[in-house]
Order: sequence, then structure tokens, then C-alpha cells
Amino acid sequence: MPTDTKRVRGPETSQSPLLFWSRPAKVLPSHGPRADGRQRDQVDVRPVFVRCGLVSQAKGSAYIEAGSTKVLCCVYGPRETERKDETDMKSGRLTTDMRFAPFSCPERGSWIQGSQDKDFSLMLQESLQPAVCLHKYPRSQIEVNVMVLENSGSVLAHAVTCASMALADAGIEMYDLVLGCSLRQDGGSYVVDPTYPEENSWRSGSGEKQGGLTVAFLPSLNQVSGLQSDGEMAEETLTAGIRTCIEGCYKLYPVIQQALIKAVRRAALPPAES
Amino acid sequence: IGKPRPMIANEGYLEFFVDCSANATPEFEGRGGEELGTELSNTLYKVFNNQHSLDLKSLCISPGEHCWVLYVDVLLLQCDGNLYDAISVAIKAALFNTKIPRVHISSDEEGGKEIELSDDPYDCMRLDVENIPCIVTLCKIGHRHVVDATLQEKACSVASLIISVTHKGIITCSRKVGRGSLDPESICEMIEAGKRVGKALHPPLMKLLQQEESLGNKRQKVGFLG
Repeated sequence: MPTDTKRVRGPETSQSPLLFWSRPAKVLPSHGPRADGRQRDQVDVRPVFVRCGLVSQAKGSAYIEAGSTKVLCCVYGPRETERKDETDMKSGRLTTDMRFAPFSCPERGSWIQGSQDKDFSLMLQESLQPAVCLHKYPRSQIEVNVMVLENSGSVLAHAVTCASMALADAGIEMYDLVLGCSLRQDGGSYVVDPTYPEENSWRSGSGEKQGGLTVAFLPSLNQVSGLQSDGEMAEETLTAGIRTCIEGCYKLYPVIQQALIKAVRRAALPPAES
Repeated sequence: IGKPRPMIANEGYLEFFVDCSANATPEFEGRGGEELGTELSNTLYKVFNNQHSLDLKSLCISPGEHCWVLYVDVLLLQCDGNLYDAISVAIKAALFNTKIPRVHISSDEEGGKEIELSDDPYDCMRLDVENIPCIVTLCKIGHRHVVDATLQEKACSVASLIISVTHKGIITCSRKVGRGSLDPESICEMIEAGKRVGKALHPPLMKLLQQEESLGNKRQKVGFLG
């Protein structure tokens, strides 16, 4: 396992002070309105702020902010494949890389990519690959780099949305935008677009139906390009959850479209005044 | 025996590692199999990441200080498609066969805790593997889906759905893999079929494991793998 040899993280027996901080275990109530005022059992997605074209060096970039979750994505490419033995003559390759800034989560993460980051990168690649017209870019490589600046829940879903917007901003040909939405099933009710405390509250001793679900969806083609679920759910709960996430994606769609239109208008040259 | 995770002081935990050796396919030579191995291990972590699969509290020796850490190592010998299913069946069988010795904790001088293993080799604790899920992989080929696809069938498929089902029919983890996209209706069909297959897989497996267990020393050992 690669370890970080450049930074001194204190003696090995040191532990985080958070472990000793005796605070009352905040058990989030399972009925009633959620902490930030949204409703349970309704497709109530957080309002998002989206902006394209932030990073001028990159071919395309996008920034999304939903509640406190902040995700930034840059797209480089299409460029020549780095490793000559992996050049594919018929279609391009899409490489994704998702990283969490060490200050993004309540517990400080490390700079070296852990296995969870690799897992997210793989999920991101599987969600984006059906949407990009890779056969139009033979022998090339498109790099998508996602950086999570603050993780306040449903980070994979927002990363997928951000990455597809950055790809569109870069002018890469795609079949459709990929939107992500996630859900957390808690006993009998569900919450859409959970925040960090809602995502990580595993209540002990409760029965079945506790889990999280993330869906990546292509709205105009009505296809699901990515699905990941965790925890325990019955089959009906899972299918109902997928439908709810699809509804959530449809709610986000107009906002993303508007942001892309604005970005194109800004980038387009003003009409020549003759 | 290790130290329990800081946040959950009264439970043991499992560590998964999947090794794709170069025996399986020539592509796995060198570092080639590492990516697939990490993908498989991460999925296994997700599958077992819930409270009812395995009773982790029984793995605790003394809260906050000592607990049993189960290292589950999977070695792929030959690869013919459908890796997830085979791995999950193997893990269930291996955990069924696991015997954890009983420990006694006594405090010696200076107040430290000393762990003693019981001397009797048959005095051990077995794990309850009833609730461990089995993984079912469904590949979408054309408009229909296929369970337990071979390598050739997998090459024809656009995308596959991996579902892990317990014997009660509860889905603990699901994940879409592959480079294509799936229709929401076909996902619902695939989940239903996967749950049916998964539920049907558990009773014969448990029966076989118990049958083999009851043979005890009279088992015929064929070669090294028994």
C-alpha cells in the first residue's frame, strides 16, 4: 500500500481528537422534515449553482455547487494516447480521475489515492463512457479530472453531472448529457440528494431497508448509464429508488442546459458590427 | 487479532484482497491484474458493508482494544467470465469453514491484558454464514439478459448488472459495469431475475456445505485441492 513519506503526520500512536470528544450521538430523526428544511419522500433536490469555463488552461471545465458540496472538473483532450501500446485504432479512450481534497471531508484525507477514490473514478468512467462518441476520436485519449473541494453528501452524483458538463464545454461530441442523482433509504422513507450526516448515519439495530443508491442517467435517451447501491434493500425498494432518482435527474436537466447555453453565448464571438 | 476500527469500537472487521494471478489469463501479467483486483475487492467491501451479513460483534474480544480481523484473500486460478459469482460462493464456503479459536482474557501483573488461546484445538467458534449474500451477474445481450455468462457471451454484451442477494431476497449491493447503458425497464427486469436466481442459489449451497462438513475425516482427498 503506498504510504505518504513526504509528510509527517505525527507519531504512529496518535489519534484524532474527534474520537475523544464526547458529544451526544446525533441520531437524525427518521420522520419529520430534514435538517435543511427539505421534505422526506419527495424528490427534493438541492438547488445547484453551475458554471462552465472556469479553468482557462483546460479544454473544458465546469464547477458545480449543491448545498455545500463543491465539485470542480477539467477536461483535457482529445490528445495522443500516452502509452503507445494501448492505442486503439478504432475509438478513443476516456480516462477519469476523481480525487478528494484532503480538506474536503470532516476527517482529513491523504493525498495518495485510496481505494475508495479509485472506486469512484471507475464508477465515473462507467457512467460517462456510454455518452461520449468515442468512435469519432480514434487513437486519442480524453482525460477527465474531477476534484472534490468539499464533500457534503451525494458527491458521486454531482461529480458525474459536473464531468458531463465539462465534456460538453470542451466540445467533445456526446450522445447526451449524463446527470447523476442519489438517494438514501432509511427505514420506510427515503431522502433524495442526502447530505453528509444523512449519508453516514447507520442506525444500529434497525431492520431492513437501509441503504444508499446513486444513478447516472441520460435524460433524452432514457437510459441509465451508471448504477451503484449499498446497504440492504428489498427489490421493490431498489426499483422504486431508481425511478425516484430518474425523476431527480429530470429536475436538474433544465438548469444544466441553461448553464451550458450561457457558457456558449459567453464564448461565442460577438456579431461583427459592420 | 488486531485493534478495532476507531469509530466502531465493539466490532471486528473483514479485509478483502483479490489477487489476479497471471495463471488466469495472459493479460494479467505483471501489474495488469491489479486494476481488476482492486475493482473486485472494492465491490466485496460494498457487499459486506451492512449490519446483517456477518455478525461483526461476535468478532470482538474486548471493546476498543482487541478484535478479530478476518483477512479474506482470493486467488484467481483461471478466468472464464463471471468472476463475481464464483468469488462470492467461494467466500461463503470459506467463511463457513472458518474456525476461530476461543480466547480468554486475563489481566496479568501491571494491569495489562493478556490473551490466552484455549488449548483444545476443537474448542472454536464458527461463523453464521446464513446471511452472507451471493453475487449474481446479469449481462445484457441485445434485448434480453443472460445469467452466468462465459467470456465469449460477455464479449457480446453491452453492459452487465451485478447484484448481491441474501437468502431472504434482500439486495445488499448492486452495480452496473460495462461500457454501455441500460434501459430503466430492463434494469427492473434484471433485478427481478437476479433476485430469483440469487434466492434459489442459497439453499443448495448450504446443503452441500453441511453435507461436506458432516463427512469429516472420511472425505476422500483428491490431489492437493481435496
